[in-house]
Amino acid sequence: MSNLLYVGKGTPRTIEVDKVTGRAIYINDLKLPGMLYGKILYSDYAHARIKKIDASKAEVLPGVRAVLTGHNIPDVRVGFLRDQTVLKKDIVRQFRDEVAAVAAISPEIAEEALDLIEVEYEELPAVFDPIEAMKEDAPLIHEVDARGKPIRTNILPLPWKFYAGDIEQGRKNSAYTVKDTVSTTWVNQCCMGTSGCVAEFDMNNDLTFHSQTNVVFLGKQRIMEYLSSIGMRGRNVRVINPVVGGSFGTKLDTDIYEFICILLALRTRKPVKILFSREEEFRALPPRQPAVFTIEQGCDKEGRLTFRKAEAILDNGAYTSWGATTPSVMVMPMSSLYRVPNVSFEATCVYTNNIYCQAMRGYGNPQATFAVESSMDELAEEAGIDPAEFRLINRNQSGDVTPMRLKITSCGLEDCINSVKQKLNWSEKRGKRKGKGVGMGSLIHVAGGARVYKSDGHGMIVKVDQNGHIDVLDGGTDQGQGSPTIISQMVAEALGFRPEDVSLTLGDTGLCLWDAGTHASRHTFMAGNAAVRACEKVKQQILELAVENIPKVVKSGFRRKKRNDPDFVEPDLDYTLISKPEYLDIKDRMVFPKSDPEHPFFRIEVSQIIRDALHVGTGESKVVMAEAFYDPPTEMLDRELKGNLSCTYAFGTTGIEVEVDEKTGEVKILQLFAAHDVGKAINPILLKGQIYGAAYIGAGYGLTEEMKLENGRVMNPNFLDYKMLTAKDVVPVEPIVIEPGDEDGPFGAKGIGEPGLVPTAPAIANAIYDAVGVRIKSLPITPEKVLAALKEKRK
Amino acid sequence: MVDYDYKKPKSLKEVFGLLKKYGPKATLIAGGTDVMINIRNRELSPEILISLRGLSDLCYIRKNNGYHIGALTTHRMLEQSDMVRAGLSALHDAASQVGSVQIRNVATVGGNICTAAPSADTAGPLLALDATVALEGPNGRRRVPIADFFTGPSETVRKGNEVLVEFDIPEEPGHFGSAYWKHSRRKAMDLPLLGIAVGLALSESQEISNARLGLTVAAPVPIRAYKAEEFLIGKRLGDDVLVEAGKIASSEASPRDSLRGKAWYRREMIEVFVPRMAKLAAERIRGE
Repeated sequence: MSNLLYVGKGTPRTIEVDKVTGRAIYINDLKLPGMLYGKILYSDYAHARIKKIDASKAEVLPGVRAVLTGHNIPDVRVGFLRDQTVLKKDIVRQFRDEVAAVAAISPEIAEEALDLIEVEYEELPAVFDPIEAMKEDAPLIHEVDARGKPIRTNILPLPWKFYAGDIEQGRKNSAYTVKDTVSTTWVNQCCMGTSGCVAEFDMNNDLTFHSQTNVVFLGKQRIMEYLSSIGMRGRNVRVINPVVGGSFGTKLDTDIYEFICILLALRTRKPVKILFSREEEFRALPPRQPAVFTIEQGCDKEGRLTFRKAEAILDNGAYTSWGATTPSVMVMPMSSLYRVPNVSFEATCVYTNNIYCQAMRGYGNPQATFAVESSMDELAEEAGIDPAEFRLINRNQSGDVTPMRLKITSCGLEDCINSVKQKLNWSEKRGKRKGKGVGMGSLIHVAGGARVYKSDGHGMIVKVDQNGHIDVLDGGTDQGQGSPTIISQMVAEALGFRPEDVSLTLGDTGLCLWDAGTHASRHTFMAGNAAVRACEKVKQQILELAVENIPKVVKSGFRRKKRNDPDFVEPDLDYTLISKPEYLDIKDRMVFPKSDPEHPFFRIEVSQIIRDALHVGTGESKVVMAEAFYDPPTEMLDRELKGNLSCTYAFGTTGIEVEVDEKTGEVKILQLFAAHDVGKAINPILLKGQIYGAAYIGAGYGLTEEMKLENGRVMNPNFLDYKMLTAKDVVPVEPIVIEPGDEDGPFGAKGIGEPGLVPTAPAIANAIYDAVGVRIKSLPITPEKVLAALKEKRK
Repeated sequence: MVDYDYKKPKSLKEVFGLLKKYGPKATLIAGGTDVMINIRNRELSPEILISLRGLSDLCYIRKNNGYHIGALTTHRMLEQSDMVRAGLSALHDAASQVGSVQIRNVATVGGNICTAAPSADTAGPLLALDATVALEGPNGRRRVPIADFFTGPSETVRKGNEVLVEFDIPEEPGHFGSAYWKHSRRKAMDLPLLGIAVGLALSESQEISNARLGLTVAAPVPIRAYKAEEFLIGKRLGDDVLVEAGKIASSEASPRDSLRGKAWYRREMIEVFVPRMAKLAAERIRGE
């Protein structure tokens, strides 16, 4: 490991030059000949019966090529629970419900056509609070399920229940217990690039779909299922990623606008583009799910956790997307963040007339960790133990098997807590209560894939051509995280080339092998393991060709010399040095004998060996290419939500010092240390970029970001009123990189895409408590909430 | 569909001619950072936009028997002016916190005032600095104290055939200082939840010889807190006096609950920031 040439180095992201100079082709830039522009008409009500849709005026507007409503498209259900149709014709259940769609020769004409569509509604009683929605007399959001069976409740048929050990026994063993309720709200993923896609059918009805999805193969599968359900069974679909401006969870599901785009393309026989405005991005994309947790914990006299019991209520919104499955990730921190023997976790997802929810970076973990880590501080105080010490007592350790059956292999949590403590000058600063305070929070997250589908596989094809250039075809996607740079480094390292010799093709179902998706912080881990395996094969091929061809190259050189110089005497060489592949190695694009790396005759460029193997003149020519399909030895969660779903787990601790203005309630982050067990940093610059970005988003989640909904309507669908932090709102983030090395990770690496975000908000809440003695239990922690709590305390 | 004609006249006379011709169908546009947003939001659908950007002689900051600021002066010019920083500190505080550099490069102070948003950043400082607004129409020029300029949200005394051309700010005798606090959730790309501008004149003995308080987002229009001013004048500068002035100013305000902030919080912040800004103004007088 110590001799690594490229892995572990801060290789710059060279392919990003196209992005920063404006050359990169995002979906915004993509323009196909004859392309039309699609626009969507959304509901005017949170819950209403559609009495009439009259699109006749829109249909005759010059420039309009198609107007779709629920009445002229196949009546087919889509989505995770098949609880919606692409266009709604009978009932709308949320403001974002798609009622009609238009394709026209310009976006402006399409927009104008939307204004001409007349929809008559009859408003229905609505419900916007999941707790209200669970009551017996609450308005029903859905009257029948996908099979047409009547539904009598707004509670989703997805009971998330996890039990391990014995809560009552845990309670008996407790010297101290605490119980509290905390809540989190909707936040938008805020991708820099707004959503969009281009659909194009050829005359055989085969579809090419330019999609920002980060699950190209599952996306393709969903689209093929949809096409099949509308009578187009067996048509080919190719999903291609354009350059993507961020995903953060938004591209995990196939969204309704994508089905609409496909239908418009099918109807018009033209390529159709749909591109969201920023307002649509806020109003019509599924955000992170809000949740309310009641959490109870206990510990014994020594401070060892005895039990953890939590109940969560999630506002699902009107339909079901991946947001409803976030409890499957919440169960991880609930059961496995710190050692806790007895655990009970129940989550209930409830239909309401609010916007429906999806995945976002952390996938339920930020919400659940806010609950766990707030409660950890409360319990530490109850037990009279320093919160850092309390966390150390209960820390996860290598070799642990958690109540969820997660097998903890490498674990740097102790180092993370201690380094944050030391950097913050914790013992000195804590407990002073003079408007300044420190707090921390930790996390556990999957870091070696996540077997959420029956295959967690990842395919990669590596070929080396006669010019000495490497092409890598990877089934994952790059949504801006920098995978091409990381993969180049790992391929170069594994093959003895340079990163700049490697070109990446990602996100194309027509070229690449299956990948379960670039989600769950898994791309580096998966692609790295696939790269190591594919490169091993490629290297073997090259070395076999070298054994065959180096003597030929050397001897033909001698013959040439002899022709020019009749006195030349061929040196007596020991050809056994290169007689077997295992005697050879590759470094810096040169093949050489291991026993004599600087050999004056046997050190040959790889490109020459491949060229000679290809341009044989007579006989069988050869190329160098191999694929690897890596699927880690993990298990899907069983019915009890137990199983070792990831090959390894990431740990981290965020420590924060805040200053609270007791007159205004404003919170300023003075220092933020983010310590992460990353296994091994493949590229420290990119790694730190992930940590900086995640900490910023985490700080926004903690302090400023919230989608404000009033009776189901998003009231702040713009960056003026949605308070994402700006570069001027400096959060002084200092990453601390802990590298214990992971035996299953490529070069020792773990995934680090999501973790940085997870513990930031609770660390802020804990630091505020340390500073001024008030605990804010709902996110975001606004100045109003802090000031109100301070006033309450002063009473 | 966004569709309008665009004219860029070179003189005020031409502007008056166009305004007469098109009447309410026309909208004046300067920097465009408000107008364009309103057009895209479909809150505004003018048939013709009359750009004032051809009137380059309305773009100046001068000091000559008081301060004179042309209506087309950008926020960035105010931000970069040492004269404004030293003599009109509150206006400098406000101008340098509007939006982002890109916005400040085009957004004009005249536009900020004519849009007449309750949250206009420069309105509070102009109130605290006792500015006068010069309006020019086909029949000549008239001057209106800024305190009388705003009549409601997005409403002013400017008539349809008038153009705001200049702000005149008196040079205060003696020791005068001013400060503005933009209370917002972010440090950039934000509107104030509340704006508090304080202008203060102090005697040698720290007696308050004059005081003006401009509050924004505290009422349907930017307001002066006259009672608090009256209370302050003649008193010695001190914590108790300022706290009391904050309370009085807060009672003069009529903030409302909105998506961006709660009325109770705005009231509290007036109490907090009137003293803080008065202290900052005093520090500036003392040259600290």
